[in-house]
Amino acid sequence: MEDKFIILDGAMGTMLQAAGLPVGQSPEVWNATDPEKVAAVHRQYVDAGTRLVCSNTFGANRHKLAGCGYSPAELIAAGIQLAKKAVGPGVKVALDVGPIGQLLAPLGTLSFEEAYDIFQEMVTAGEAAGADLVFFETMSDLYELKAGVLAAKENTRLPVWASMTFEASGRTFLGTTVPAMALTLGGLGVDAMGFNCSLGPEELMPLVEELARWTDKPIILKPNAGLPDPATGKYHTTAIDFAKAMAPAAELGVGAVGGCCGTTPDFIRAVTDVFKDKTPAVRSKADRRGVCSAARTVELDGVRVIGERINPTGKKRFQQALREGDMDYIMARAVEQQDAGADILDVNVGLPGLDEPAMMAKVVRAVQSVSDLPVQIDSSDPAAVEAGLRAVNGRAIVNSVNGERAVLDAILPLCKKYGAAVVGLTMDKNGIPPTAEGRFAIAERILDAALGYGIPKEDVYIDCLTLTVSAQQDQAAETLKAVRMVREKLGLHTVLGVSNISFGLPAREHVTVSFLTQALAAGLDLPILNPNQAAVMDAVAAYQVLSGEDKDSAAYIERFAAAQETKMVSAPEADMTLDTAIAKGMKAETAALTEKALDAMGEMDVVNTLLIPALDKVGDRYERGEIFLPQLINAANAACEGFEAVKKRIARRGGEAVSRGKIVLATVQGDIHDIGKNIVRVVLENYGYTVIDLGRDVAPETVVEAAIREDVRLVGLSALMTTTVPAMEKTIRALRASGHDCKVMVGGAVLTEEYAMAIGADYYSRDAKQSADIARLVLG
Amino acid sequence: MEPRLTGIDRQEALRYLGVRGDRPPADVAASLDKWEAALLKTARPRAVWRLFDLMPDGTLAGTTFRPAGEDIRRHLTGCDRVVLMAATLGAEADVLLRRTQVEDMAQAVILDAAAGAAVENVCDDLCAGLAAELAPAFLTGRFSPGYGDMPLEQQGEMCRVLDTARRIGVGLTPGGLMTPMKSVTALIGVSDTPREEGGGGCKNCAQYENCGIRKAGGSCGR
Repeated sequence: MEDKFIILDGAMGTMLQAAGLPVGQSPEVWNATDPEKVAAVHRQYVDAGTRLVCSNTFGANRHKLAGCGYSPAELIAAGIQLAKKAVGPGVKVALDVGPIGQLLAPLGTLSFEEAYDIFQEMVTAGEAAGADLVFFETMSDLYELKAGVLAAKENTRLPVWASMTFEASGRTFLGTTVPAMALTLGGLGVDAMGFNCSLGPEELMPLVEELARWTDKPIILKPNAGLPDPATGKYHTTAIDFAKAMAPAAELGVGAVGGCCGTTPDFIRAVTDVFKDKTPAVRSKADRRGVCSAARTVELDGVRVIGERINPTGKKRFQQALREGDMDYIMARAVEQQDAGADILDVNVGLPGLDEPAMMAKVVRAVQSVSDLPVQIDSSDPAAVEAGLRAVNGRAIVNSVNGERAVLDAILPLCKKYGAAVVGLTMDKNGIPPTAEGRFAIAERILDAALGYGIPKEDVYIDCLTLTVSAQQDQAAETLKAVRMVREKLGLHTVLGVSNISFGLPAREHVTVSFLTQALAAGLDLPILNPNQAAVMDAVAAYQVLSGEDKDSAAYIERFAAAQETKMVSAPEADMTLDTAIAKGMKAETAALTEKALDAMGEMDVVNTLLIPALDKVGDRYERGEIFLPQLINAANAACEGFEAVKKRIARRGGEAVSRGKIVLATVQGDIHDIGKNIVRVVLENYGYTVIDLGRDVAPETVVEAAIREDVRLVGLSALMTTTVPAMEKTIRALRASGHDCKVMVGGAVLTEEYAMAIGADYYSRDAKQSADIARLVLG
Repeated sequence: MEPRLTGIDRQEALRYLGVRGDRPPADVAASLDKWEAALLKTARPRAVWRLFDLMPDGTLAGTTFRPAGEDIRRHLTGCDRVVLMAATLGAEADVLLRRTQVEDMAQAVILDAAAGAAVENVCDDLCAGLAAELAPAFLTGRFSPGYGDMPLEQQGEMCRVLDTARRIGVGLTPGGLMTPMKSVTALIGVSDTPREEGGGGCKNCAQYENCGIRKAGGSCGR
């Protein structure tokens, strides 16, 4: 910014309400109907000292304006023009953009692309109307804000300011932290960032201090007039007190000051008085850096483990999940690695015949819906890398580039645009140099190229490449030497996939752990490994004690104190039957006993005379009220292990896969409560059916299309709320109209047998158990 | 009056789970303990409330919001003011639930029930605070859209009046459902004289037909 503070304006909505705008009406409509009243507010702020006004367009998006009779473009054009006329020369007009008013998936139903589209419509209209910059305000979802910033940067030439709303806890309502905001928005290249709304100046000051350590961008501060009286919603702080409380911001690196809810021209006048003779403090450079999701930041000030398990290479089950779009399986891999102690998750979805960019976006979103770990986008395809970088929430790592010019020129601009860190592999078109010096030379080349693209040195991580020691024994030492050189001479973070070292050897773990320990000692700080291997993670934990990173060995002690507790697993009873194992939900025992049975009986006999009857007994007990839903699900999960054993046996002799039939399941359009449907899915799958789960908020035509494509005889629909049952009826009608011959079962808290029949369903399913009964009736 | 989550009512959570009888299975009880601890740590309870005068036509003064239906009208009989409230466990509880569903559906079912009881606890705690704050006035019980004949759609209007999106981060989907999912809106009548509860018990509940608790001879107590 400049050598003076930029004085912003205060609240707009409440000023308009004071001028007669009815509560509940869109303030933006006045841009068309009462422009003079809006202009009067702008003028009052300018008179009070404002040098940058925000247009009256906060909610001028197509979602919030629906039904008001005006388009976003009309009200934005009117709003910008009236503001420019009102403020006169020397005062800038920002296109003010607030939240869309609907949450993005997974919390809500709006897609990232729709959000982008909504913002694109606004920012292009704003630029066309002559706005001087785009100002996103009051955002609490970093992902929504990312859609907005990208829309502004990709479709206009305007500077972009972004400000979020935080609670005193240092998080937004959706969990975004100050560092995550700083890293993500800084990476996307906004021109200024900061805070507005929700709190008063005193409460926001500590957050300003924190932000200044994470970004060098100018900081914006627009607090509320203190906290509102809960009973009335009114603010009681005076203008003078507000301005006094704002004063410390001058020393903290703030460059633009104004007010939000409850502030008036009087407040801005008082703020102007406080700031007019001050100059913004010269800030020390931000000293903290890292990668992040919206809710979690990982600083690279010690060993940080990158989990390698989201990768189809050499993993049949993972490949199957990718081909079938089974996100639950992949999400479970994410959760498992986080629980095992991973700090960052590598995401690789490269599989021949698959649309890698589309799958990358889908998997990144699925992973982030259940894990708050930062993500590493692992692909060599620039399109897949970009799809992943767009989809990711937070600041990611790209894995990888190498020393080839063409690769550097394809990938580095993407890293720069989305603000990602990048892994550089020390190889090029001539392969991997056999010496540490050769690899170091490539590392230097990669660093130069990155710097050339404007990527800071701290964001370049070098992978000196692990080669299999059983094949190239001399290379282990070269790799370790290269790691040390890159660390010491270039001062860069280093990445290394360690598992590969022991390939082809027996008792691999010993070699892997030994190599890992040596690499850590050589300066490796970003090992890529399988965190589910306890010995490997134990080695990391031990290293963190020895390096001093784990202060007072606290994490180490906690890790092994917890490990001792879990050692008490009772030995399986010798005379256990499949019935008991399933009834008690014992997975390993069920699998073992099924294996044993398969040695003596045919596969289908095992299914029909052992597994299904065992499940039936559990089902009967559930219906009699002797056991309850969690136990029913546990039993079904255990039985699933039995079915898996059967499937494996059949696959081994090359036979047809067993499935008792296919069922399409969906939570209907408009409904986001999907736990009921998910329970039904688990139970049906564990009864041996193949479930095509379409998810939640599913449009009728999607259900019809899936039913026809998969040629299913049974469709299950779920709706939790009275308001979404009509969508269920619509879906049933669409299925009937399609002429596809299938039965429909429905369930949900507000449904009854009678109601189900009235909306045209074939079956009413009271609970998950009954859905399995219906499936048997329809599919056998 | 800070919104708080102080714990969960085991009986309430067990009712949500459909567990009958007074002795829950030991593993379910242990899981409830575990999820209570997890929610106490993870959830970020938030609440917002406002006090309105009740106009003779049933509208809340200064707004265009008029609670619809016979049941809420009866519930507010004798009240000249109304508290409008909304409470939530925050987005973190949704994330925890989604995450648990991919790990272990049986545990997710128990967590879902625990979270349901937790958001009620936040409401109960807020109501206790309100009773103290508004004393010596008397407060009715909570009445939410979807109870009796009050349409669930009015949840949206209540969110708008309370500006829940800005104040506590509770928004609406296009279908009018609240996000985060573990959120509640409710009305509480305020009067200067004590009065009989006009709730009318089970018969007025929208869930009357298929309520498992009622069929088992119980009541959720509303």
